[in-house]
Amino acid sequence: MELTESKKRLIFSAALCLIFFVLLLRFAYLQLYKSKEFFLASEENRVRTIDIEAPRGLIFDRYGTILVDNSPAYALYAVPAELNKSDSAYHILAEALQVTPQEIKERLRRNSQSNFQAIKIERQIDFSTLSLLHERRLELPGVEFRAESRRCYPRGVKAPHLFGYLSEITEGELNLFHDLDYEPGDLIGKKGLERQYESILRGLKGKRYVQADALGRIVGDLTEADNPQLHYVTPVPGRNLLVSIDASLQYYLEHEFTGRRGGAVVLNCKNGEVIAMVSEPNYDIELFSRPVTAAIWNQLVNDPNKPLYDRMLQSLYPPGSTFKLVLVVAGLETGLIDPQERVFCPGYYRLGNRSFGCWKPGGHGAVNLLQAIEQSCDVYFYRMGLKVGLKNWADYARRFGFGKITGIDLIGESPGLVPDEEYFDQRYGKNKWSKGLILNVAIGQGDLLVTPLQMAYLAMTIANEGNTFKPHLKRGVQDPITGTEEYDQPDSVHIPGVSPETYALVKRGMYLVVHGDRATGRAAAVPGISAAGKTGTAQNPHGEAHAWFIGFAPFEDPQIAWCVFVENGGGGGAVAAPIARGIISLLLRENKLIPSSQRLVVAQATP
Amino acid sequence: MFERSEQTLRELDKIIVVCVFILVAAGLMAIYSVTTAINTPAVLKDNFAKQVIWFTISIMIASAVIMTPMKFFYKYAYWFYAVALILLILVLFWGAGRGSHRWFVLGLLRLQPSEIAKVATILAVAKFASHQTTDLRHYKDLIIVFAIALVPALLIVKEPDLGTAMVFFALAVPMLFWAGLSPFIIFVLSAPIITLISAFNLVTFTIAILLIIGILLWSRRRLWVVLTVFLINITVGILTPKVWEGMHDYQRQRILTFVGLQEDPKGSGYQVNQAKVAIGSGGFWGKGWQHGTQTKLRFLPEQHTDFIFTVIGEEFGFLGVTLIMVVFLTLLLRALMIAAAVKSKFTALVVVGSVTVISVHVIINMGMCVGIMPVTGLPLPFLSYGGSALWTNTILVSLILNAGVRRFEYL
Repeated sequence: MELTESKKRLIFSAALCLIFFVLLLRFAYLQLYKSKEFFLASEENRVRTIDIEAPRGLIFDRYGTILVDNSPAYALYAVPAELNKSDSAYHILAEALQVTPQEIKERLRRNSQSNFQAIKIERQIDFSTLSLLHERRLELPGVEFRAESRRCYPRGVKAPHLFGYLSEITEGELNLFHDLDYEPGDLIGKKGLERQYESILRGLKGKRYVQADALGRIVGDLTEADNPQLHYVTPVPGRNLLVSIDASLQYYLEHEFTGRRGGAVVLNCKNGEVIAMVSEPNYDIELFSRPVTAAIWNQLVNDPNKPLYDRMLQSLYPPGSTFKLVLVVAGLETGLIDPQERVFCPGYYRLGNRSFGCWKPGGHGAVNLLQAIEQSCDVYFYRMGLKVGLKNWADYARRFGFGKITGIDLIGESPGLVPDEEYFDQRYGKNKWSKGLILNVAIGQGDLLVTPLQMAYLAMTIANEGNTFKPHLKRGVQDPITGTEEYDQPDSVHIPGVSPETYALVKRGMYLVVHGDRATGRAAAVPGISAAGKTGTAQNPHGEAHAWFIGFAPFEDPQIAWCVFVENGGGGGAVAAPIARGIISLLLRENKLIPSSQRLVVAQATP
Repeated sequence: MFERSEQTLRELDKIIVVCVFILVAAGLMAIYSVTTAINTPAVLKDNFAKQVIWFTISIMIASAVIMTPMKFFYKYAYWFYAVALILLILVLFWGAGRGSHRWFVLGLLRLQPSEIAKVATILAVAKFASHQTTDLRHYKDLIIVFAIALVPALLIVKEPDLGTAMVFFALAVPMLFWAGLSPFIIFVLSAPIITLISAFNLVTFTIAILLIIGILLWSRRRLWVVLTVFLINITVGILTPKVWEGMHDYQRQRILTFVGLQEDPKGSGYQVNQAKVAIGSGGFWGKGWQHGTQTKLRFLPEQHTDFIFTVIGEEFGFLGVTLIMVVFLTLLLRALMIAAAVKSKFTALVVVGSVTVISVHVIINMGMCVGIMPVTGLPLPFLSYGGSALWTNTILVSLILNAGVRRFEYL
């Protein structure tokens, strides 16, 4: 049964048609049914997204001076495939960056997507490294320098504890802020304002698109004309932060404290703004505008002077006599102190078989309340302390914010410690502690621990007679493009249960501290302006006494309140009060404080 | 030995000629697109110009082949075959190639004996099968005719070039079918291969065995023949998985790699994936000539040779693919018309053999580009870059055209 030629032809033709049809079906499946998916895959193959850095917001002081700025810097990139062509390249780079060649290789491998793509090796290389590497660029194939920005501090105000610094985001932070579009390698505020206001200062990176070939080499730009899905994303600059710092006062105080340990907090009584806050010793903030080496970091961490600590809000100290003001308020409010009552000070006070000395060994003689504040008579306050009792004292101390954080917009604030009966019971055992401990805390010694910021807050609260404000640095935010500024409302705080009469008396006492005949704080007095204050000389086991001086000015209409603190500085009146005078003088000279004389003229002019 | 050329030109099958020109033109456009891509390696830059030269030479080859009487090919068929075999043996000793012995380097030219062998084997099989004395119902003749196809195939396997060897396996069966070999014999020979492949899955195995039983019953052969064929298939089916499981991993690996089924992710797997992306992303209209991103950014290695069709798929889309397939099909169907029309059995078998070789290349190459056939390295006739493949296909089409011109002639 031989098939005819035409039958065979038919069979062959049919078989070919069938096979071609099946093939065509497969093409239809790929090109019609799955075409969108494969188109995306082909776009994914060639499209590379390049981030466009957004400038971070600047920080301005209260008068519009730039405190924290951005300046151009260079990051070091290398294309591994090119770099591998030179044997010495890794060694040259390693030497310049002071790491091992293995570390360079490791960094390249860690961030590598393609051997032909430039990978960041180091950000913000310094100028000497840049020029060194640039000189040897013939030996460094594939090495690129790309512009980026770094933080700089043009005004000379170094306040590292306030500004804080930026550093590469950690894995933990990436997880924590996973919904905020951070990417590995991004910089994030680690301390201070940079951290507190990260969300304001941070800009949003833009995106542009380029075309890469199969080896990952960039071969050109891509626009929306190439793929309508690719939208160029304009970088959004971070918003500027307007802070309440007065650059000139901050600068002045930083210099005043150079070489000392301590610092000062100056608050605006009208709204709680921090006008200056200095903590010394500090560290060179410029060091942190580049990647910090382990050596520098370890040196800072191990420095016995603890420069990384913000003494104004992280460190705790006994406040000394400045804290007598709290006892006065407690005594007056509970009616346990009669302001007219005179107490005889022989220079010591005897409790049981122990003798508690007055700072003036010869004694103050008979003193009433105001005289006791003015001269800071310890014996007077020993007796008052016993009268008022630990419970009332601790109650009023807490009302003024001691034992808890003030809530300032900086991280790491310590709450301090207000000892009460429970505390002593716990620490020494029930009824196992003597009343001598009450005498200690009555003059701001012993277990009582405060931060200088809390003391400044106390000064402001007294100046404002209980209607006070939460201390803060941020005044507002400025849009960097439109220049529109938005200001915050200050958080007002009311201290309950203290009468205006009490405040008047305390303030009167504080006025005498500066302007009285026997004033302990007269070193703070500035002609033409009336100030009020309280000195403190806190004994401590670490050496010389801490010098304190808190106060406010002008007396009639308080505008600023301060706390000056010198660690192991000696007498508050002798060491701390002159710094307060410096603060007042500077503000007066720069017409930032209205002198008492002009105030009277103004007062008369208004009906 | 050449005949008058005007008459030859008049009798030439114009449709086939036009088809070839369209295919070559499409190939040149695709090669141009590939070789003008960004970062094209220097060695590929002149490929477009070279292919134009190769095609010019092709036209000369075609003229020569078309004008040569079929008698000449009949007369010297075994001589061609012998020369091809010698070259295939020599290439194993003096051949070059990427980790293989596939071609001789003669100055600028690469002579690939397997290309010559394709033509020679077609001629030899055609000649033997068309002998008056040959009777394909005799097992002796059957064995000889298969041997003619298998000897070059085995030599090519040795090179190794499995893809090309497969063409020789595939070549004999359609020619013998055309020569009158009973379909039942073809079935008996091919059934165990189908059983072997299907034996790894109970469902496919059952289907295969049921089909075999059906065909056996339908054929109404003698009982012992039916039973023998059935038992052979059952044995193959049962033994295959057992043998497979008894093998070491590396042995299996070798076999899979050998038959081209083992996809290694960085090699052919990557290629097939990128090929599918290129073709699929072309969509219906394609991205436009010179606008294929997969092509222009060199995501596909060997795109100017084995994967040339992905350029068509990406830049000209489903439309371009369909057009090229229709052109191929027109060419092949037209050739089959000639095969059915010619008076000489030898000529008819040469045409069928040529159609088979071209078809196998087209089907396997396209199947490879869309990921339904293993990556074997068979070029796409007339489109892929390369002189020797182009010339072989030119010779095959020229033989078809020759047959068409002399369709009324007996040898």
